[in-house]
Amino acid sequence: MTAIDLQQAAPTARGGRISGHRILFHVTAVLVAAIFLVPLIWVTLASFRPTAVSMQPPIPPWPGDNATFENYIRLENFGQSILHYTANSAIVAIGTAALTVAVALLAGYGFSRFRFPFKPLAFILILSTIMIPFQSILTPLFLLLANLGLQNSLFGLILVYTTLQLPFSVFMMKNAFDSVPQEIEEAARIDGIKGMRLLWQVMVPLVLPGMVTSGLFAFLNAWNEFLAALVLLSDQDKFTLPVLMTAVRSGRYGAIDWGAVQAGVTVMMIPCLILFLILQRSYIRGLTAGAVK
Amino acid sequence: MALQDIGNRQTAGVTLRRLHKSFGAVEVLKDISLTIEPGEFVVFVGPSGCGKSTLLRLIAGLEEVSAGDVFIGDTDVTEKDPSDRGIAMVFQTYALYPHLSVAQNMGFGLKAAGRPKPEIAQKVNDAAAVLQLTDYLDRKPGQLSGGQRQRVAIGRAIVRNPDVFLFDEPLSNLDAELRVGMRLEIARLHRELGITMIYVTHDQTEAMTLADKIVVLRAGRVEQVGAPADLYEDPDNMFVAGFIGSPAMNFFPAMMGNGGQIELGGSRIPAPVLSNPPAPGTPLTLGLRPERYQIRTDGPAPHGLTFQVEFTEYLGSSSYCYGTIGDGLACTLELPNGFRPRRHDVISLGLDSQNMRIFDQSGLRIR
Ligand SMILES: Nc1ncnc2c1ncn2[C@@H]1O[C@H](COP(=O)(O)OP(=O)(O)OP(=O)(O)O)[C@@H](O)[C@H]1O
Ligand SMILES: [Mg+2]
Repeated sequence: MTAIDLQQAAPTARGGRISGHRILFHVTAVLVAAIFLVPLIWVTLASFRPTAVSMQPPIPPWPGDNATFENYIRLENFGQSILHYTANSAIVAIGTAALTVAVALLAGYGFSRFRFPFKPLAFILILSTIMIPFQSILTPLFLLLANLGLQNSLFGLILVYTTLQLPFSVFMMKNAFDSVPQEIEEAARIDGIKGMRLLWQVMVPLVLPGMVTSGLFAFLNAWNEFLAALVLLSDQDKFTLPVLMTAVRSGRYGAIDWGAVQAGVTVMMIPCLILFLILQRSYIRGLTAGAVK
Repeated sequence: MALQDIGNRQTAGVTLRRLHKSFGAVEVLKDISLTIEPGEFVVFVGPSGCGKSTLLRLIAGLEEVSAGDVFIGDTDVTEKDPSDRGIAMVFQTYALYPHLSVAQNMGFGLKAAGRPKPEIAQKVNDAAAVLQLTDYLDRKPGQLSGGQRQRVAIGRAIVRNPDVFLFDEPLSNLDAELRVGMRLEIARLHRELGITMIYVTHDQTEAMTLADKIVVLRAGRVEQVGAPADLYEDPDNMFVAGFIGSPAMNFFPAMMGNGGQIELGGSRIPAPVLSNPPAPGTPLTLGLRPERYQIRTDGPAPHGLTFQVEFTEYLGSSSYCYGTIGDGLACTLELPNGFRPRRHDVISLGLDSQNMRIFDQSGLRIR
């Protein structure tokens, strides 16, 4: 065996290797990203096409030199202003997110840290409600809300959405609390902090990613939900954006107004994108919280 | 800066009276009574699961007592909240608040108690100076090394200005070198603060070096309480004898012979002076520390034993030698530096009867 020369003039240059794997990885990533992005871009571009061409095959997708805002103007002139409906949606989505986070925070804390009778059973019951398709209980829900005088009210819708959102959020928050070491809470007790102050000053900052994640889920689901909103809201000025879309779609004389729908969808995407971009770091941490120690 | 400036402390002793603790049907602490003097450094040692942490947590108030009383100073604190007991605790996992800076971590308790900001800043700075943390006050715990985090945890405890300091295995997450450094640091803190400290560990070097008083626990009971040297030289039973000291004491099955002799593996050796010697023919256990022997070069002695070398571990200043005596009883010796026998060498040992410890069949010491 020949000895390896340990004193060679220069160390072997390393790095800068471009392996086939890496190229494949990037090509795949770009393709997957394109699959997700193309419909969004397409919708956005199509929303600027004039009505005349909106029924034609959308190729090429860009509106060319006759780009126009007329779709947006029609959308704006439908019923109340688009801002009004956006505000409806925002109230419902933010209300749902806030209520969901508040309830799930307390419930998750309780399930994670307190001992009470039938705890496992209660937890499984909560989780098992995920398995009920909510469409199947829409009629009883409607009757229930009607009896409470909450049909056709945004607050009633918030309550329904929160109920639907809670099982997942409670599960999420319980996991978030479970991953906070017991000793931190004990250190706080020695420091003289207990009760709600303990939850607020010590625990909340530690489970914040979980709160962001469940809040974001609640927000997006409420923002996009259609069926319950359609059934429960009857006044046009209470409509949320998804319900508005169906109303806008049936344009004059039974023709379908694709242009206005494209414009509406584009408007609907914007708040979600902004929210997601702001929160994505906490969101990703929340999803993987407790996965690795 | 003098450490005493951090606060005017009046340290307090701790008294435990007939303490019991059960988790459900399992009783993990059984009738523990213990007096800890003001300013004393007490170490709880014992095998894993014996209840050391539970006992410490009962003193801290993090766990509820099933029966018995806990006194800190002259006050019965059994029913008090942890924050009202005048204690501070350092956890094995540091348990720092990850979202707060070092300074906020240390000042958190004072802030919660509504103390004025300048006072908090003053105390935090003083403690940080003592623990060499001044440069790190603005960092988050995640940006510190393990040793620095543990110092922050100690700093948080100092700032509370407690009567009693509690440590639960504070050094076991640190590497060996850092552990020695922090051990010295804790010893210095105790010297300078003069405060009562209760320290849980299963590292017996920590126990021996730090303690004024060691409490050996086994399966929820106190086996023996005493100064390190007392436990080493004068153990009450085989458990303590075997637990304290490294390498562990050798135990040989033996029998009381006639005329003040002990029969051990076919030889007869003179027994130590016992105030209450068992009758001849009583089986007993002879305990011998690995370093308590002389090497005899003048051939097998009438009152000695032969040791056959199996293998040796070289440790620098000494080496541990594993082998057998008599008819194949396993035995470990600590050999002096420079003495390096080879496998199957036979060493002739001279034993001093003063160094033998005799235990009865239930493991209790016969004195
Ligand atoms: N919350 C609890 N519920 C039930 N059993 C517990 C609880 N805490 C501790 N125990 C049990 O009590 C016994 C003593 O535990 P403890 O943590 O005090 O041991 P330890 O001496 O500190 O051990 P180690 O050296 O491993 O830390 C163990 O058998 C443990 O299983
Ligand atoms: Mg322990």
